[in-house]
Amino acid sequence: MIHVAAAGDLHVGPETAGTYRAHLTGLAAHADVFLVAGDLTRHGTVEEGRVAAGELRDVGVPVVAVLGNHDYHSDAEDEIADVLRDAGVTVLEGDGTVLDCGGTRLGIAGGKGFGGGFEGRCASDFGEPEMKAFVGHTKDFAGRLRTALLDLDADMIVSLTHYAPAEGTLEGEPPEIYPFLGSYLLGEAIDASGADLAIHGHAHKGTEKGLTSGGVRVRNVALPVIQHAYALYRLDVPEGRVEGTAPRLGTITPNHIRSHT
Amino acid sequence: MTGRERDMTEPPEYLSAHIQERVAAEAHELGIRVDVSGDVVRLRGEVVSEEQRREVEATARDAAGGREISNELHVVAVTEPDGEERLS
Ligand SMILES: [Fe+2]
Ligand SMILES: [Fe+2]
Repeated sequence: MIHVAAAGDLHVGPETAGTYRAHLTGLAAHADVFLVAGDLTRHGTVEEGRVAAGELRDVGVPVVAVLGNHDYHSDAEDEIADVLRDAGVTVLEGDGTVLDCGGTRLGIAGGKGFGGGFEGRCASDFGEPEMKAFVGHTKDFAGRLRTALLDLDADMIVSLTHYAPAEGTLEGEPPEIYPFLGSYLLGEAIDASGADLAIHGHAHKGTEKGLTSGGVRVRNVALPVIQHAYALYRLDVPEGRVEGTAPRLGTITPNHIRSHT
Repeated sequence: MTGRERDMTEPPEYLSAHIQERVAAEAHELGIRVDVSGDVVRLRGEVVSEEQRREVEATARDAAGGREISNELHVVAVTEPDGEERLS
């Protein structure tokens, strides 16, 4: 069994330094890992990145994070990722990591993701270069997410993105802006990997609980949604899935090379 | 100014869209609801801090052309979680 803590959209800044961290004192007692679903900063400055790193440094459990659109706003996303890594945070950008949680291997793959919309009401890869670039960015990421999820050699698998992989957790947001909040392409990648849970943020007015079209549980952990410093989820390895030994999925093609990344 | 240009007040729909844009660009809040009715601009939504609440109001005021601001933004109180969801 794995206890996952997750939160997104911390949106910290110098004027609030230390206030978020003050709520993390009980984290290590309740969780094996802390997943941060992007938008750590407000304007994406390196200064704010340093504040975010300070909030997440030495919290007693491994911290795995992705960046959000706000963290890209000042074109300093690489520096912000570096500052976070210097503080011991694993920053995923279309790749994955495996953690040992008391003998159970937890695999996490993810990255920022992007928008485009959902089945039937989505942007398509057609027309102006700007439109193709928009959809292309999502397609590109979805492809990397799928590969990263499938490559995880782990007992339980979690997808971590900023943008939403399903519509259900957007409920509460105006439907007109769904295409800017997430994409079904992320959900499709998650479904193909048979992940156990998909965590995201970004939709501040959305809903916590949803499902991908393939039935994977989705949780929107944006702080305004969960209304707490983090949400806690307990994942039990399903019976028949032997911890630490057997390949995890039946959906993986036999010739797929499983590697630990 | 040419004779064809009219000194007209902006329709409230455009004004609320412009305020929303400014709030997104300058205060970096994308989910704020802005409604203009008469001389009052109503701000609704959730922000993560009191500072952010003030910044959104200041940005909206700046873009509101002297209209009164009704700040109904709510600061999300972040506390430690009170339970764990079991997923299996
Ligand atoms: Fe956010
Ligand atoms: Fe966001």
